Amino acid sequence: MPSDESWLDRFVSGLPETRVFQRLASWLLVPYWAWRTPVKPLPGGPHPSIQPGDNIQCMMNLIMPLKDKSPIGRAKAALAIAQNKDAIYAGLDNVGTVHFARFVIVGDNICMFSVYDGDFTNYIRDFIATIGGVFNAVVKLVEGGDAVTPCEHNVEAFIQWVHERDLYQVPDTATDLLRDQEALNGDKASFGHDDLRLLPRKVVLQLRANANVSLGSGYRAYPGFSAAQVRNQLGIGW
Amino acid sequence: MTGSSVAKQLVDAIIANLPEPAPGLRPVHTMGVGVDGYFMASDVARNYCIAEHFRGHRVEVSVRFSNGFGGPKQHDGWSDVRGMATRFHLQGGVKDGPATDLIATTLGEFFARNVEDFFEFTKIARQHPVQRESPWRKILDMLQLKEPVRDPYPKETTNTDAGALSYANRYRFAQLAVFEAAQIGAPVSYTRATYHAIHTFMVEDPHGVRRPVRFSWQPVAGVRTTDPTATPVDKYLRHELEERLRRWPARFMLMMTIGEAGDALDDPTKPWSARRVRVVMGTLTLTNLAKDQVADGERISFNPWRLVPGIEPSGDPILHARRCAYEVSREMRGGCPFIRSQADAK
Repeated sequence: MPSDESWLDRFVSGLPETRVFQRLASWLLVPYWAWRTPVKPLPGGPHPSIQPGDNIQCMMNLIMPLKDKSPIGRAKAALAIAQNKDAIYAGLDNVGTVHFARFVIVGDNICMFSVYDGDFTNYIRDFIATIGGVFNAVVKLVEGGDAVTPCEHNVEAFIQWVHERDLYQVPDTATDLLRDQEALNGDKASFGHDDLRLLPRKVVLQLRANANVSLGSGYRAYPGFSAAQVRNQLGIGW
Repeated sequence: MTGSSVAKQLVDAIIANLPEPAPGLRPVHTMGVGVDGYFMASDVARNYCIAEHFRGHRVEVSVRFSNGFGGPKQHDGWSDVRGMATRFHLQGGVKDGPATDLIATTLGEFFARNVEDFFEFTKIARQHPVQRESPWRKILDMLQLKEPVRDPYPKETTNTDAGALSYANRYRFAQLAVFEAAQIGAPVSYTRATYHAIHTFMVEDPHGVRRPVRFSWQPVAGVRTTDPTATPVDKYLRHELEERLRRWPARFMLMMTIGEAGDALDDPTKPWSARRVRVVMGTLTLTNLAKDQVADGERISFNPWRLVPGIEPSGDPILHARRCAYEVSREMRGGCPFIRSQADAK
């Protein structure tokens, strides 16, 4: 950028964009720093909070690897959803806390993304009661799913299984990632001897430990309102 | 309430740390431009706040956009916090009459919780000579997966970056503001940035219900910054604004976020969750550069305490300190005095 740059300055500034450096970083530097400064994967799901607004429009982001990693396996997953359309709507209308739920196939994974109101365990528990059959149809196609199906007979294990697959929600503000890591390590101090310039490394190492994450807590057009409030305000009842 | 002697010390601490003090001008946000426009409250604004400018009629406004740097040098293209101070001219729109101010910057949070923090920050975040980091040092940073030190801009000989970083490394409450300030960049236009009034205010609705809120201006044209790898241009923001307004008005939406129990009401270093209810309070339309830039760009003096019935300050110590500090600064540069009410105006 400035005119007093030497050729060496320009070369070094451009290094991070070169393929050589990127390979060096991914093959050597990242594993080295992961070994030298290990990080624990941050837990998934919404941050616990007692504030009402934080318990409305919560996100669940599940990425579940399919057992059958072929077009046939993906088709089976698609069919499991299509065959249970009525059951899914009946569950949504009866539970009454879901803004939306989406099933998406990405690669050899079936993903379930939903936005719901209230407590996570109650959300899953309600759905086991109302559409447990849909969960069973999907989860039996997923790696590790056999251990928790039928979900009606394995309620607590099933809730834990889902929670473990719910993605870590990277905070909206970059430095809150540091606070999450400190909290996980039992460090609640207001003061420290930190090095803010190490934030990139901490992000990289967390994404190494947690390959799939949700970016931010979600961007909402009408934050602070439950599905029931929206439906009530629109006069469409529940 | 912060006394005038403390306020004087605050202003002196800021001036003492300027690379080039400019007597007679603002100690920070020195370079700015005045703009005329009007504000129209949304249909729902009056349900949340009884203040006059939220009743729904057209309210004339004066806005001053500014670069955050203190001193007479203009560096529009440098990464810097920008300011947007808005005066709502009430009761008929006379410029010297009753008014209320809303002061906002592109930084979403502050780096100090109170006056004591601020004084310590000014001691640690001193101006230091800067030079380009050696290539070998940069390589070492890269090998550590560390954020590189920013190259100085052309003609930039000192800055407070190292001190601010040192402060943030020591005090976690300051990390968000310092990190965001370092990444903030330069807007392509003053009208293409979001501005946050970082403090909490209490607003009262027609039923007497009081709510803690934070305001922000969101640009209708969208947010856009310049290319950080390009050589920065020193002077373009005023000309860009003039040309833009000659073609078409520029608009901002005034958004009001409502806090909940447990949110930080008195601490401007803490952001509120993005899950809080946001209310559209109205639209600001900017029409032209003020004709008298001396009066509307320089002498005009804003104060976050210039409030009207329906809006009250929170207990935020920084907000309280700003009341007197702005007055001390105004007196030092001979700006227009602080008028709070119609009685004061007469």
